[in-house]
Amino acid sequence: MDVATLIPLADTIPVPWGWFQALLLPTFVLHLLFMNLMLGTAVIALAGELWQPANPASPARDLAGKLPFFIAFTVNFGVAPLLFLQILYGQFLYTSSLLMAVYWLAVVTLLGLAYASVYLYRFRYDGLADKRRLVIGAVVLLLLAIGFIFSNNMTLMQRPEVWTGYFSQRHGTLLNLGDPTLFPRWLHFMVASLAVGGLFVAVDGQRQTLLHPMAVGRVTAGLRWFTYATITQILVGLVFLITLAPPIRDLFLGGSTLHTTLLLTGVTAALASLALAMAGQVWPTVAATGATVTLMVMVRDLIRHATLAPYFTPADLKVIPQYSSLLVFGLCLAVGLPFIAYMLWLATRAGKEARP
Amino acid sequence: MNYPVWQLDGAGGGLLIAIMAIVHVYISHFAIGGGLFLVMTEMKGYREGSQEILDFTRRHTRFFLLLTMVLGSITGVGIWFTISVLNPAAVSTLIHTFVFAWATEWVFFLAEIVAIFVYYYTFGTMARRQHLQVGGLYFIFAWLSLFAINGILSFMLTPGAWLVTTNFWDGFFNPTFWPALCFRTCIALMLAGLYGFISAVTIKDEKLRETLVRYCALWLLAPFYFLLASAWWYLHALPPAMQDLIMNRMPELAPFIKAFLWLSPLLFTGGLLMAIRLPAMVKRPLAWVLLAIGMIYLGSFEFIREGGRRPFVIHGHTYANAITLQDTARTDQAGVLATARWVKNREITTDNQQEAGGEIFSLLCLPCHALGGPMHDIGKLTAKYTLAGLRARIAGLGGQGDFMPPFPGTTVEAHALALFIMTDRHNDRLPEKGALLMPPAATIPPFDMETSDYVLLAWTDQGIHAISDCDAQWSFAPPGSNLYALLIRRGATPELVNDGVTITYNMEPGDQVLAGATTNGNMQPSAAGPGFAAMGLPVVPYTSAGRFAPYPLVTITARAANGQFLAVARTVLPVTTEIGCRNCHGGNWRVDGVAGISQKTALGVLEAHDRLSRTKLVAQAAAGRPVLCQSCHAADGKGPTAPLNLSAAMHGFHAQLLGNLGAEACQTCHPAGPDGATRFFRGIHENIGLNCTNCHGLLVDHSLSLLQAEKMAGKQRAALLMARLKPQGVTTMPEIKPRQPWRQQPDCLNCHEDFQPPASDSTFNHYTEDESGLFGRRTDAIGIPCTACHGAPHALYPANNKFGQDRDNLIPLQYQATPYPLGANRQCRVCHRQEMREEMHHPNSLREFRNLRENASTKKDRHG
Repeated sequence: MDVATLIPLADTIPVPWGWFQALLLPTFVLHLLFMNLMLGTAVIALAGELWQPANPASPARDLAGKLPFFIAFTVNFGVAPLLFLQILYGQFLYTSSLLMAVYWLAVVTLLGLAYASVYLYRFRYDGLADKRRLVIGAVVLLLLAIGFIFSNNMTLMQRPEVWTGYFSQRHGTLLNLGDPTLFPRWLHFMVASLAVGGLFVAVDGQRQTLLHPMAVGRVTAGLRWFTYATITQILVGLVFLITLAPPIRDLFLGGSTLHTTLLLTGVTAALASLALAMAGQVWPTVAATGATVTLMVMVRDLIRHATLAPYFTPADLKVIPQYSSLLVFGLCLAVGLPFIAYMLWLATRAGKEARP
Repeated sequence: MNYPVWQLDGAGGGLLIAIMAIVHVYISHFAIGGGLFLVMTEMKGYREGSQEILDFTRRHTRFFLLLTMVLGSITGVGIWFTISVLNPAAVSTLIHTFVFAWATEWVFFLAEIVAIFVYYYTFGTMARRQHLQVGGLYFIFAWLSLFAINGILSFMLTPGAWLVTTNFWDGFFNPTFWPALCFRTCIALMLAGLYGFISAVTIKDEKLRETLVRYCALWLLAPFYFLLASAWWYLHALPPAMQDLIMNRMPELAPFIKAFLWLSPLLFTGGLLMAIRLPAMVKRPLAWVLLAIGMIYLGSFEFIREGGRRPFVIHGHTYANAITLQDTARTDQAGVLATARWVKNREITTDNQQEAGGEIFSLLCLPCHALGGPMHDIGKLTAKYTLAGLRARIAGLGGQGDFMPPFPGTTVEAHALALFIMTDRHNDRLPEKGALLMPPAATIPPFDMETSDYVLLAWTDQGIHAISDCDAQWSFAPPGSNLYALLIRRGATPELVNDGVTITYNMEPGDQVLAGATTNGNMQPSAAGPGFAAMGLPVVPYTSAGRFAPYPLVTITARAANGQFLAVARTVLPVTTEIGCRNCHGGNWRVDGVAGISQKTALGVLEAHDRLSRTKLVAQAAAGRPVLCQSCHAADGKGPTAPLNLSAAMHGFHAQLLGNLGAEACQTCHPAGPDGATRFFRGIHENIGLNCTNCHGLLVDHSLSLLQAEKMAGKQRAALLMARLKPQGVTTMPEIKPRQPWRQQPDCLNCHEDFQPPASDSTFNHYTEDESGLFGRRTDAIGIPCTACHGAPHALYPANNKFGQDRDNLIPLQYQATPYPLGANRQCRVCHRQEMREEMHHPNSLREFRNLRENASTKKDRHG
């Protein structure tokens, strides 16, 4: 069977594809950062519950207050890139989502459970006592599972050659387990979460050092999480690179200037963040990490572009121009963001005692 | 056609999306109205200087935050996830068309999240004015979210000018955008009150509790007038056809419309009850009951809205099963399997029929129908159909009053689909008894070409008399067979003997008459022509032992006035109860597993009539007053609102469903099918391979001719049915000639022009002027009825009867030892005792019979 015949026809788009690409990348970076914060801080909270259950200064209590925000914004910032991804690659994404529909829809339930659990963790922190580790442990497992499902879908959508599995497995239970990149890729995102989560602990500690001298310990601990995770990450990233299909991999190993440069710059940024973290430079580490994530998101996009190239490129999408709706979106964004900034500003002024 | 289909089996049929959407809708509307409620209540607290009210507001905010953020936002994403795996094609259209509306909504959603977090977590620590500002911003952004989503939701119901222009704004600000926005805003405000009750009833202090419960009641009650006004506006903003569909043509929506109408006052009364002073132990459960009622209320509205857009998911663009109107143009030609991307079986063979049917089911039915499970289970919905009925139903989808999409495939695909459903869902059905009672071979009365002085011809005017035998429920065709006889004194110039003789008829043993009726009697001089007749004989197709026997024999004897025997003849009085109602209306055959309308079938017919025409016939029949169909559907009904005559109504209605089936359509109801028990179409025309449609036209055209006459008689209903039928044999509607049932039928001489071999094998749209031209009434040049020599219509000599090949041909066999018409093969001697040279009866009669039995099968192959 010619798998290309299975790929559904794409719908038309109202403005050239570059607009969507430009919207996809930054929103996805934000989604990823919040996802990293969500999972990373949950793991660190769990570690705190497991290793230092009696420690009254455990970061877990503080993190408990943050987790609901992280989930909310992860979800919110997930909506936008998922929307733009559907515009650019809808025919691939809808198909892969459907082939693994059972797991894909399970995300909703798993996420709901995780969300409810973090509120439970936050609002019943003291009441839960010993059971806290179970609750936050469950959150971690749920989030890891969700990440795994996402990794499956984002890779399955790029492999029409395995879609024929549908004909023997029509109940939406297909996964992309045969893809050698799947596990390294998933690990790449999960380990990144530990680094970003650690960095958040460090940043939060840094902000508090003036009030609480003990918070210095948090900075150190947070940076330690970051450092170890990033070292691991370099290894995982290497495995990920090796498992890529040779034609794709070669692009990043000198085959294409753009691909190679971008990867090298990303790696350099990662190494820089590592060095900065080891030097105890919190904010510079944040900047380097932000750059790393942004660059790696672009690398990730290039991989997808190259993988799907035999079948499709977003430039193939037919445009029936209707710029006015883009304009209205731009206006709403331009009006909405200042209001959001204003509310956040009000919140910071509302008094430090108003802790979540 | 573009995407694979997720095999959900029992969890299909919209179950997943129904669960997800109901929860989401009920919370998301609350998330809007509830936001305003928080700010207004906080203001009330400040105004009245009440810390208790502020505490209540804060507590309610926490409930609000948890409910809307966790369950509300997750189910919102959940809906998106769910619909994109259930109907990716439609979602893709919505996403690509409205990408920037969705993106804008995302901005509002982001602002909403920030606002509600800031509002909750700074409660009591932020300056009052600013805190109220944040709350106000929350409400504004939440309402703007509704504004954005409402544009897309209402678009699906009424895409308006977008269908032509594909312009974003035409689709967004569609005809129901504003009424829907008003309606949903009112709902959102009312839900604020309903949810407010839940928090307010838990307040310990009685005075405060009463104050705040009353305050919440105000939220529930105040928007009511505007809600009902916007509901009215909403309904009237719909195109008239859609209004008609919702209010009249979709009985499945009736419970939801009823629920909406009944729950309005109930909810209002509930609000009033909450406002009066009652003990907390009453108000606490009442608050939850009202919340549940509110959910059913909003759920009913959403069901009505979704129902209204059926059979589409995007009205006028994409059907509920993701087939677009554009797709159907291709699938109609090539078939579904050849067009769809995700199928294994591209062609249907005898080996893969069922598997291919399963794939068709997945593509076309699964989006709305489950295999088992609680929602829209195809098993339950098809329980009453036979295979033939189901196939007919499938091929006829999308017709009158139908809220299902038309079947976009070929007839072969419809059959494969029906077969799949029957095998997959109804394989446990007990096979019916089908063994026919074969009568003993009929003995042919004696006749001696040399010595006999008389020829006695006998016939009936109907090749079959189909009777409805469910008299306790309804009837339209009571027993009443007509028998005719002609006594001819043989000679060079034969004489018709009309006087001085007694002609008696005598049914064969077996008592195939209505209980109590006699089986014999004298025939009287015929009113319609020469010879004798016995009219309205109460013949039934059942033996005294209750077996099905559709071709009882009758013996006719002629005697002189003095009792002297003159002649004897024998013929059949065909009668049947094999009317195919049960194919679609449920129930089994009543007799022998082959015929007879069972009570279940009969009630099924009345139920369908009650449902579609809003009658109460089931109740009427149950009350002991069986329905006589013609009591409403009279032949001579007058006036614009008069019901159609029965034939026009029956054919006109069923053509909507069966119109795509070609010749098989007729056999779904009439007992003419080759697999049926009666097989009444058995004459020479059947033998050479013609079918019903050669003379009567295709069902749709046949129906249109009847409706055309009713339309010309000024009956409005005719135009309504005609609007949904497209002529098949002619190009335009005006070409369809009007026709009165029974009085006007195809004229034999249309094809057999001047009695010659036919130049054409079809004669649709050419009818007899009136009864006098009917074959059963016509005579030759010298007054001999056509039927006397040729046999009854549909059983023209040489007929081929399933119950004994020559059971219908006894007369020609008796007199000329061949099954051919009297006088065929120059057998003039039968009456004339000699060869004749003049074609006195009609032209082209003096020659060898063209369609000899041994040649008929060749012709049949050619026609078939």
